[in-house]
Amino acid sequence: MIRIVSAKILTRLYYLCTSRMKQVETFRNRKVSDSSILSRKEIAMFRNTPKQYMCVEMLQDGYHRSFSELFILLRSDLEQRANAPPKSPRLQEPPLEEQREKLETIRLHLSRAEKAERDGSWTAVCEERLHLGRYFTDPMDIWLSFHFYHSCADRVFGGRSKAATEARFHLAELYRQQGDLVEARDQAERALKQAEDGGWLDPEGRPLRLWGCRELGEIYSLLGEAYLAAKQYDTATMLLQLGSKMAIEGGDQSVKAESFFREGMGLQSSGDHQAAKELFNTCVELFGSLQDVKGLVKSYKAIAKSLQSEGNIEECIETLEKSADLCQSSDLQERLADISLTLGCIYSDVNRPLKSCEYFLQSYKAACTAREVLLQHKAQVKLGYTCAHSLIKTHISEMKTPSLSSVNQLVDWKETRGHQNFC
Amino acid sequence: MEPDEPGTSGVATKIMPLAFPKGKEKYCELCQREAYIQCSECQVTFYCNADHQQADWVGIHERICQMLVPIRAMKDIYDPSVRKKNQLRKRHLIKICTLVAQSKLSEGKGEEALPAAHCCLQTSIDLYGPNTIQLVPAYILLAEANMGLGNLAVVAELLSQAEWAVLKNPELGASIQQQLHRSLGQFYTTTGNLETALFHFANDIYFACEEYGLDSSATTKGYFLIADVFARQGKTLIVHSLYSEVAERWHKHLSSLLETHQKHADSSVDSSVSFYEKSQRVEMEEMLRVMLEFEQKQSRRDVNHIALIAHNLAMLWFVSGDLHKAQDFASTALQASMQIPKHKLTEPIQELLQQVESLQTEPQPGFA
Repeated sequence: MIRIVSAKILTRLYYLCTSRMKQVETFRNRKVSDSSILSRKEIAMFRNTPKQYMCVEMLQDGYHRSFSELFILLRSDLEQRANAPPKSPRLQEPPLEEQREKLETIRLHLSRAEKAERDGSWTAVCEERLHLGRYFTDPMDIWLSFHFYHSCADRVFGGRSKAATEARFHLAELYRQQGDLVEARDQAERALKQAEDGGWLDPEGRPLRLWGCRELGEIYSLLGEAYLAAKQYDTATMLLQLGSKMAIEGGDQSVKAESFFREGMGLQSSGDHQAAKELFNTCVELFGSLQDVKGLVKSYKAIAKSLQSEGNIEECIETLEKSADLCQSSDLQERLADISLTLGCIYSDVNRPLKSCEYFLQSYKAACTAREVLLQHKAQVKLGYTCAHSLIKTHISEMKTPSLSSVNQLVDWKETRGHQNFC
Repeated sequence: MEPDEPGTSGVATKIMPLAFPKGKEKYCELCQREAYIQCSECQVTFYCNADHQQADWVGIHERICQMLVPIRAMKDIYDPSVRKKNQLRKRHLIKICTLVAQSKLSEGKGEEALPAAHCCLQTSIDLYGPNTIQLVPAYILLAEANMGLGNLAVVAELLSQAEWAVLKNPELGASIQQQLHRSLGQFYTTTGNLETALFHFANDIYFACEEYGLDSSATTKGYFLIADVFARQGKTLIVHSLYSEVAERWHKHLSSLLETHQKHADSSVDSSVSFYEKSQRVEMEEMLRVMLEFEQKQSRRDVNHIALIAHNLAMLWFVSGDLHKAQDFASTALQASMQIPKHKLTEPIQELLQQVESLQTEPQPGFA
């Protein structure tokens, strides 16, 4: 197909080129039907690079600002690629100037935006830019999303429109995903303010501000966690509470559950186990209604930890076993390995080595299935350690006394014990 | 350039047929018809009549008269070292012709540019042979010279030659493609084929950006040219947008120029003219004038924009030393900018006006 087309183009090109010099001859050759005559535009499309084609198209239509913007973007793409370390994922993709489809999309929407700008309809400008920001979903194209969202949200004219507000929410989301929580918080707070002032609805008919609440809830919780890790408990607690409050307002059950969980973790690390447990129980309810098994397991584990710290080992073990059963029934091998490991540790603490070994073995097997090397190693070591300890326990007195008879006894034992299964 | 007096424009004598080998006809330098007179200075250039001799002298011959002597006298010598030297001379000659033709063109003297462009093409063919890519610049130059004179048929042929050469060698640099597209754009604008003109100007801008960068003066010129086509199509909004872009870029450029100029003026070095080559200045002034006229003709006047362009013009004239015009434009700019409260240009314009006035009242100490 391509070969036929290119052959056609070549012949047409030849005619076009020679036409001016040998006008009479072309006239004679001109038996091809009109539909097969390629226009100047079609020739340019096949003959020139996609970059040149798009740039020329924009300029021809008078969209020079779009042209400058695209030109600068393409330049910066090449620069970023040149500065990227070798074998970075950025270099796996072809440069932007070779991706015709993306260029075409940028051209279309930037041109529309410029037209709208000339006519002075700022909202339309923002909508086009928002669309472009949403178009680039590939992780390699994040920088383009950032560019278009920023160019939409930071406009002097139209910067407070609905589209610009949505762009700001997207920016908050992107910054959060990139780990820049401070910037994310700033963007989300500004967007929420705009959304509250505007009173817009999202496509599903819910108020747009709820999006801001959900987003902010998550950001506050994450920030709280960061402060928790830095051991600044007061700020952390405040942020975590703020996060839960926002999440409740946002109305999204899973975000709410997550925020509660984070707040609970904060309380737990500051030592308020009673309050933490209450929150975790709410989490269990929420996750249960969402049928989020992972969340449930996580909450049970957190409850167990609080119980353990309070010294309520019985209940702790009960909770953990419940969560281990849950893991097994929904085939969450990695979680199972983790929970079993915790259970094994608790059993060995309360001096029940057999039970402990049993769980360590289960943990080891689950870790093998889930290919969790770290967990697998941990379980292996714990299992070996516990087995060895339970084995030498009966002979510990002989080991402690430095006499010939005790050594003899130990040697006897060694020779007679064979390969028993101790666990 | 002072007008050439007839007496100083070279001396011509009749050709003495006996002084040349037989069988070699002499042809006119400009029109290739049979020649009857020759330049008495170099004795290697011939003309059909005194008019052509005159035109050639004014156009280019005055500059290259003596250069032509070794080139043409040693044409038939096959000694490699002599040939090599001659090739170097020809290259130099091409360069001079190109520069002369370009400066005359930008000053709007198409007629005078013609001989230089002709000489450039002839020497290029002589040096590189016919149908080679090295001829493209010469073709374009000659086409531009003819365009100014309205010889559109000739232009069409020359540009086709150039286009064909470029089409055969697509790996050719961006700068040559840019020149070709610009000439083609200008050609189609004059013939009224505006859509095609747009296509070529768009390519012109694209290649200019690739070669010289987005903010270069070549790109800006391209914006101005394409705006003219849009103006002919009646798309005023686009023209306005393009002109404001052009005006802003030049404002940046001229402001920095003014700054360096003032620094030099403080150290009392008189270099007002050398800042900007004359031809470039003429071109810029012309463009700004067109833009200002366009804006003033609009029914809905953009005062902001008028202030910007007038300020540009004032700065340009100030730098090139014409205080009277600088004052004129500065007051136009001031008037426009005063209509908007707290306009950012009001202050720099007032400063410029003060400077102009102080220089006018002084008995011009720095200017000789």
